[in-house]
Amino acid sequence: MDAVAVETAAILVPDLLGWVPLQTGGDWMFVWENRRFLLLGTAVTILLTLASVGLGFLLGLPAGAIEAYGDGRLQSVVSTVGVALRGTPIVVLIVLFFFGLPIPRQLGSIPVLDVRMSGFLAATLALGLRSAAYQSQVFRGTIQSVGEGQLKAARSLGLSKPAAIRHVVLPQALRRSVPGFQNEFTIVLKDTSVVFAIGLAELLRRGYQLFTQPGRQGAIIEVILAISLIYFVLTFTTNRLLDLLDHHYAIPGGES
Amino acid sequence: MTLLAFDGVTKHYGEELVLDAVSFELDRSEVEVIIGPSGSGKSTLLRCVNRLAEVDNGTIRFDGEPIGDTDADELRRQVGMVFQDFNLFAHRTALGNVTLGLRRVRGFSKEEARERARRELEQVGLGAQLDSYPAELSGGQKQRVGIARALAMDPELLLFDEPTSALDPELIGEVLAVMRELADDGMTMLCVTHELGFARSVADRLTFLEAGAIVERGDPERLFTDPRSDRTAEYLSRLTGEY
Ligand SMILES: Nc1ncnc2c1ncn2[C@@H]1O[C@H](COP(=O)(O)OP(=O)(O)OP(=O)(O)O)[C@@H](O)[C@H]1O
Ligand SMILES: [Mg+2]
Repeated sequence: MDAVAVETAAILVPDLLGWVPLQTGGDWMFVWENRRFLLLGTAVTILLTLASVGLGFLLGLPAGAIEAYGDGRLQSVVSTVGVALRGTPIVVLIVLFFFGLPIPRQLGSIPVLDVRMSGFLAATLALGLRSAAYQSQVFRGTIQSVGEGQLKAARSLGLSKPAAIRHVVLPQALRRSVPGFQNEFTIVLKDTSVVFAIGLAELLRRGYQLFTQPGRQGAIIEVILAISLIYFVLTFTTNRLLDLLDHHYAIPGGES
Repeated sequence: MTLLAFDGVTKHYGEELVLDAVSFELDRSEVEVIIGPSGSGKSTLLRCVNRLAEVDNGTIRFDGEPIGDTDADELRRQVGMVFQDFNLFAHRTALGNVTLGLRRVRGFSKEEARERARRELEQVGLGAQLDSYPAELSGGQKQRVGIARALAMDPELLLFDEPTSALDPELIGEVLAVMRELADDGMTMLCVTHELGFARSVADRLTFLEAGAIVERGDPERLFTDPRSDRTAEYLSRLTGEY
């Protein structure tokens, strides 16, 4: 998916640039000359999004199940952590994790992308945990929307509760989670731009680095437009892919 | 030989007494029909048998063992349940509904499970609907899948909770026909149903439950023609009057 997005961006950006009716050909040339620099930033954005949404899914799904089914202590711990994560500005979380967690700075850089490993890990943890807190609410809702009778029927066959949840409730709940998940994916994608705060060279920061070069302030609109276009292509592509997934797994005849 | 025995079973939901010292015995291969007004505790009684609900007092024995002493999942494998609103797994085909228990509870291989499920579905007349999803089936077909799903576990006892109440009148017959066949094959069945024709022609025992207590229990024909309790007479005449 990321490869597709990068390629699409690479084809679209130069094509569309010629059409924008701004009398600043030189600034568009400047963007074009720095395309490799921006695409590397795009790759960081994509990687960060995938890692964060992935982490968010791995933690958010069980958290949602615990909130839907759990009892007492565990449930209240999970929902309290969720409230805290959802209630904290993402910049605060990222800065807190970057400076507060014992992530060794000497981990070095990620090859090719040229970003610090420690920053990438802190950002993934912050974005991923916060995404888990939001995804847990998506999954809690869709798990609870699966009728009680489904669980009863599974249990009356002799399936244990975890087995019944795994084989009967989750397959139905996950199908219903696609729209909420789509939403969350888009939000994380755009929120990766705040890793700016710890100096991680993702797409937006790289754009910033371009137009803050001496004598290049005139290119600010062009750079921002180019970056917006890349974000648009990325969200559009992921939404389409998730739509396809949704159709592929739709239950024939609807649900009954 | 007694398969299921209730002995002084009492159950509350909060303050409300839902089962009131219920005692009865059901032999192997017998069919028992339970009738009673809404809220009289019929569903609760069935749910106590497979421990979807737990009793407060008294003992339920299954095959001689108090059910509290056996593992609930093991008990449920031996006691099948058929629901009023089917509760078919919406994301699985008819075949998939039947294979789930075979695979996950009985440990069949994928191939064995498909083969067995196919046979169970053919048995209830659904050989042509193996790959249909619940939403693509009629109510009568759904309920027959529900029965096949329960049967595939090789249960000793089948519980039916108003299996035809959610069906259009013209679809009731096909489900009752399957139940009748099971009874003829010697399946032990505990059925909550208000299909009085079925009760009279198939059941060995008829129980009238009211306010959580057994008012009268006996041979169905006798309850219809010579009820001992006025309450039974009144309730049955009200039921038959409606038809
Ligand atoms: N899970 C529950 N929690 C609280 N009360 C319950 C629960 N299940 C049943 N009850 C109450 O217990 C009583 C008996 O309910 P039950 O469902 O067993 O009756 P029923 O005879 O099956 O009625 P119906 O003919 O309407 O299905 C009712 O008053 C009901 O409100
Ligand atoms: Mg009931």
